[in-house]
Amino acid sequence: MTALLRYQTALLIRSQRWLPPFVLYAAFLAIGVQSGQPVLDSLGYTAAALLPVAAWLVRVCASGEPPAARACAAAAVGPARAHLACLAVALGAAVVLGATATPVVTAISDPTSADHHRRVPWAAAVGAGLLATLVCALLGTAVGALTTWPLLRSPGRAVPAMLLAALLALVLTGSPAHAALTGLITGSRTGTVPVPLLPLTGAVLLTAGALAVACALTSRRSP
Amino acid sequence: MRDDLRLAGVGRRYGLRGPWVLRGVDLALAPGTLVRVEGANGTGKSTLLRLLAGIDAPTEGRITGRPRTAYVPERFPAELPFTASGYLTHLGAVHGLSRTAAARAADAWLERLGAAGYARTPMAELSKGSSQKVAVAQALLAAPDLLVLDEAWTGLDAAARTELERAVAERTAAGGAVVFVDHDPRRLAGAPDATYTVTGGALRRRTDPAAGGTVAGPHVLVEAQGPPDEAPPAEATALSTAARRTGRGTTCFTVPASRSDVLLRALLGARPPWHVVSVGAALPETAALPETAALPQTAPLPETAPEDAALPDGPAEVAAFRHGPAEAAALTPHVPQESENRR
Repeated sequence: MTALLRYQTALLIRSQRWLPPFVLYAAFLAIGVQSGQPVLDSLGYTAAALLPVAAWLVRVCASGEPPAARACAAAAVGPARAHLACLAVALGAAVVLGATATPVVTAISDPTSADHHRRVPWAAAVGAGLLATLVCALLGTAVGALTTWPLLRSPGRAVPAMLLAALLALVLTGSPAHAALTGLITGSRTGTVPVPLLPLTGAVLLTAGALAVACALTSRRSP
Repeated sequence: MRDDLRLAGVGRRYGLRGPWVLRGVDLALAPGTLVRVEGANGTGKSTLLRLLAGIDAPTEGRITGRPRTAYVPERFPAELPFTASGYLTHLGAVHGLSRTAAARAADAWLERLGAAGYARTPMAELSKGSSQKVAVAQALLAAPDLLVLDEAWTGLDAAARTELERAVAERTAAGGAVVFVDHDPRRLAGAPDATYTVTGGALRRRTDPAAGGTVAGPHVLVEAQGPPDEAPPAEATALSTAARRTGRGTTCFTVPASRSDVLLRALLGARPPWHVVSVGAALPETAALPETAALPQTAPLPETAPEDAALPDGPAEVAAFRHGPAEAAALTPHVPQESENRR
């Protein structure tokens, strides 16, 4: 599995197809986060923007390897494991992105509640931000895994489906990402830092299910 | 000893209501067997190979006893952001080699296939034939127990085609199973243990004499001398299509050209080692005749290979002679053995 992850990581990094999602995320943050804003609001925005970016990274990873090369790796380790490595690398890239952005955003934001009256502890804010980011990276990966090969192959259907699913994952009540973001925003209003462990559990379970479905279908769909 | 790869009632269709591409396929693939699959275009040969390689799962039926598998696709894309040796090192590691062993095996196989000069070339700049060499090397570098070749010879140059035939013979001699599809009927002629035809979504074993392949294709006569009262090494007899005693301790082996190097290695590596008296081309008809009169024609001279010109692939027997029988044992010593480099 280590060799597979290394191979998929090298494939992602050397293909330079990671660049557009990274630039998009930087642009999201440049527009939405300004210094001096309440920290928990900014962190909520940082996490929310990561969800569609994570889904796009999955798309980049899953479609970056030519089908014949994928077949060679699949023959060696089994198609499900090969696809799992590909999805894991996409998730890893999204987590790295979120984990880099969160401390930076915290550092430039104002460590206070939304009305600038109550102080918010810096370390706790970073922790809550990282957890929310992780929830969004996981759900974004699940969205990406369910809207790319082997489930949806034609880009004409897959890309709109991915965008719609990413939007729904952010706004639908009951979605772990929605719960985590709501926690940050209400926390900002009241000046208390939330610990979104319940949304994290939900996101882990949902993502595990989505990845299992995607990996199980790899050997059942035409290339 | 590992089990056979078994397909029981295997069927495959694409989509929930698509037509059946294959149905009712029963097949047992024992270690060390070479199997040829034939069929017209679009009959489902590639689908069968993808099932055998484990890339596709059967829609119905079961596949059991999967060994370590490697697959060579028909067309290999160049759009990978690696150099040839970089890609092969990654794939070698994916196949289970350590990174150093994978890098060494990658260079050794590129050299064998005549692509050593392209080792540091980005894959995107490789020609179609050179990418195909990378695809072949990728499958061979970890010495798989099952090798699946989907028209792997297409696009290779003559030297690499011969080298791949030799590599296939080495794999089967080492106990690996090999399944291949190729549109050239002379490909590995005489070597396959079984030939199957895919027609109308079903798999049938060909039973006509040409399919069993005892005499078709270029053969090599190897005369070797061993201890006077000892039978030839079992491995050598298994590789040959015919082995007959021509004198006290002298045996004459008829072997398909692709397996001749492996036979020489088996003879020279036997305990006690056999002495190779002569190596020469066998005409297809002499291969079948059990007469000693055929022997003088096999005097070890390159000119005695009369079908050289007729064979575009450059017959392996000439190459075997050029190296000299004594060197044949050392032909491929740089390819790592399967056990020692495994993590």
